Amino acid sequence: MDIIEIKGLKKDYALGKTTVNAIRGVDLSIEKGDFLSIIGPSGSGKTTLLNIIGCIDHATAGSVKIAGKEITSLNDKKITDIRLHQIGFIFQTFNLIPVLDALENVEFPLLLMKNRTRGEVRKKALSLLDAVGLSEHMHHRPSELSGGQRQRVAIARALVTNPDIVLADEPTANLDSVTGASILDAMRNMNERDHTTFIFSTHDANVLKYARKVIKIRDGLIVEE
Amino acid sequence: MDLILKISWRNILRHRGKSIVIGVILFLGALIMTAGNGVISGMDRGMQKNIVEGFTGDAMLISEKQESDNVFMEFMGKSVATIENFNQINSALVKLSYVKKVLPIGKNFAMALNSEGGIADGVFVLGVDFKKYRDFFGDNLKLVEGNFPDKTNEPFALIPTSWRKMYGEFYSIILSPEGNKPDTSTLGKEILERISDMQNQHDVVYMGMNTENTTTDVRVPVSAIVKYRSLNTIWGQFPILDIESYRECQGYFSAEAKNTDIKKEDELLLSASAESLDDLFSGSEMIDSKGYNNKDAVTLSAGSLASVKEERKNDIDLNDGIFNMILLRFTDKSNLDQTVKMLNKDLSGLNLGVRAIPWKKATGMIGSMAVLIKTSLFLFVMFLFFVAIIIIVNTLSMAALERTSEIGMMRAVGARKSFIRMMFLGETAVLSAVFGGAGIVVGIIAVNIVAAFNIPTDNDMVQLLFGGDTFKPFLSLFDIGLALIQLIIVTLIAVIYPIRVASNIKPLDAISRD
Repeated sequence: MDIIEIKGLKKDYALGKTTVNAIRGVDLSIEKGDFLSIIGPSGSGKTTLLNIIGCIDHATAGSVKIAGKEITSLNDKKITDIRLHQIGFIFQTFNLIPVLDALENVEFPLLLMKNRTRGEVRKKALSLLDAVGLSEHMHHRPSELSGGQRQRVAIARALVTNPDIVLADEPTANLDSVTGASILDAMRNMNERDHTTFIFSTHDANVLKYARKVIKIRDGLIVEE
Repeated sequence: MDLILKISWRNILRHRGKSIVIGVILFLGALIMTAGNGVISGMDRGMQKNIVEGFTGDAMLISEKQESDNVFMEFMGKSVATIENFNQINSALVKLSYVKKVLPIGKNFAMALNSEGGIADGVFVLGVDFKKYRDFFGDNLKLVEGNFPDKTNEPFALIPTSWRKMYGEFYSIILSPEGNKPDTSTLGKEILERISDMQNQHDVVYMGMNTENTTTDVRVPVSAIVKYRSLNTIWGQFPILDIESYRECQGYFSAEAKNTDIKKEDELLLSASAESLDDLFSGSEMIDSKGYNNKDAVTLSAGSLASVKEERKNDIDLNDGIFNMILLRFTDKSNLDQTVKMLNKDLSGLNLGVRAIPWKKATGMIGSMAVLIKTSLFLFVMFLFFVAIIIIVNTLSMAALERTSEIGMMRAVGARKSFIRMMFLGETAVLSAVFGGAGIVVGIIAVNIVAAFNIPTDNDMVQLLFGGDTFKPFLSLFDIGLALIQLIIVTLIAVIYPIRVASNIKPLDAISRD
C-alpha cells in the first residue's frame, strides 16, 4: 500500500528576477514501512522534496497524496493537523525547544494533540526516551545535551505521536560517525518495530547502507530509483 | 494552557534582558498611569470641593432671558439677567426630591469707588442672604478679621483678602472692619512697603455696572475680611454684600422697596426731594445705605422714605426681591448633566422663566480650564502609553524574529498559529501582570504618600491642576480598576503586531534559517 503518492510535482522558487526550478516534475510512490533514502548532491532538490512531503512547503504544480489524501489544496489548519498526527520530523540541526527539558520536548506534540491524559502523555514520552537510551537525561535541557543526545530526543519526539511517516533531513550531518551510526540504528529499529515509514535525505555514502530503498535525485528530477 | 504558561514563563527567564526592558516600560507605564489617575481623580474631587462646594453649587437656575451661560466669569458683555419670582420657583423646587439645597444670589459687575468718588477697579459682587449662604456653602469662608454678620437685614461687605490687597495697592487704602487692626500677613509686599502712606477705611462704596437699570452708589460697612478656603485668588475677586445693598447698588427692586410698595422711580424722586432734584441728573448720587453714616460721602437723608423703610425693616422677606441666579445642590452628583436635563424637563411646563445649567458652563473659563487641564493630563498619560506601546511592540517583534527557528520548528511539529499567538500573549501577559501589577501597587503607594504631604500652592493655575490649594491626589477602587483595564488594553495593543509577526512564521523558516 502506498503511503505517499506524488505525480508531476514541480516546485519553483523566485530568486530575485530569476526563477529556480527546484523540482521539475517528480513522480514517486512510497510504500508504508519503507526505510528510504533520498540522495543527491547539494542543490539537487532533495530537501525541497522532503519539505513538500512533510507539508512544510507548497508545491507549485502536481499532486501529493499522503495516506490517500491530497494535501496541496488544504488550508493551514488542516495541513498543521496532518503534520501533527501523521508526520514526524527530524531536522539536521536537532531543532528542540530550548526552554523545555528532554522529556518535555518529547511530550510537546502529544500535548498539542490534547487527546490524552497527562499520565498517558508522560508514560509514552518516557518509553520513547528509554527506547533512544536517554532516560537518565530526561530532565536535561537541550543546551545540556550533546549533539547525538539531542538528535535522539528529536527522534523520540518525531515518533511519540505514532506518525505514518518520519522525515529526516540529513539527520547525521552534524554528528560524528559513531553517533551517526547509533542514530541510524535507532531509526532502523523503530522502523522494524512499528513499521513507521522513514524517509531521509543524505549525501553521505555511509548512511546508504542502512536504507532499504534509495532514490537518486539530480537537478530536480529523479534519475535513479 | 499549562504548556503555554510554562513555555511563556521560561522564555521570559531565558530572555531576561528583553523581559526586563519590557517589564520596566510596563512598570513605569502602570506607575505613571496609576499616579495620573490619582491626580485626575484628586483634581476632580478637589474641584468638586473647592468650586462646587465652595462657590457655585452643582448647578444653577438662570433667567431664560440670559443669553450667555457663563454667568460667573464673563467680564465683558451684558449683565446677568434677573429672576424676579424666586418664591414661585422655590415652591416648585421643594417638590423635587433630587434638589437638596437652594440658594438665590445676586451677581453682577460693580465699580469700587474711593471716598472722593474716584473709580477703582471693576469687581464682581455677590449679593446674598448670609444665613442662607452659610447654610448652603458651610465653612467655605475663613474669617481673617472682624465678624460674620449675624442679623438678616444688616448691611455688610465681606472683603476677600486678595481683593483688599488689590484695592489697597490701587488707592493706598486698607479696608478693615471697624475696631480691627489689619492682619499684615495678608496685605502683600507692596502695601507693607508703603504702610505709612496707607489710610485705613472701614467701609466701601460700590457703584453697580448694570446695563439694564439705573444704578446707584452704595456705601456698605466692611464687617469682615475673609479668605476663600481654596482658589482664593480667583474667588477672592468676588466681595460679598448683603442682598439688599446689592440690589440697591444694581438698581434692582429690593425686597424692602417691594414690601413698601414703592416703585423705583418714586423711590428716586422721594430720595431726591430730600436734597435737590439736581441729584437725579448728577449721575454720582450716593445713597447712604440703611442709614450707615459717613461724613465723606454725599449723604442723602431719606426723609419720608427712610421713615417708611425703618418701620417695615423687620418684616422684610428677602426672597421677595430680585436675584440673578439660584444655586442648587443635588442629592445625587454622579451624573450632573443628566440631573440638569431632568430638572429642565421638570420645570419646562411651569412657565417660571428659568433654565438650569451645570456649574462648568456657568464658570466659563474656569470650568473650561479645569476640563482642559484634566484632558491634557489624560492625553499626556495616553501619550506616554503610546510611546510605551511602540517600544514594547518593537522589542516583542524583534524577539519574535529572533525566535524564528524555534517558532518555525513548533509549527513544523504541529503547533497551530493559535498556539503561537497564545504563547506570545502569555509571555506579554505574565510580564504585564508582574511588572505592570508592581507599577500599579507602587503607584497606589506613591499617590498616598504624596497626598499625605499636603503640598500647598498659591498659584491659580496650579490650584486648578491640584483642584484646590493643596495637592491631594486620590485613588478610588474605580481608579485602580481603571488602571488595571488601561494596563490590559496597553498589553493587548502592544502584543497585536508581534503576535502577527510570530504567527506568520512558517515551518519552513525553521529550516531556512539553518
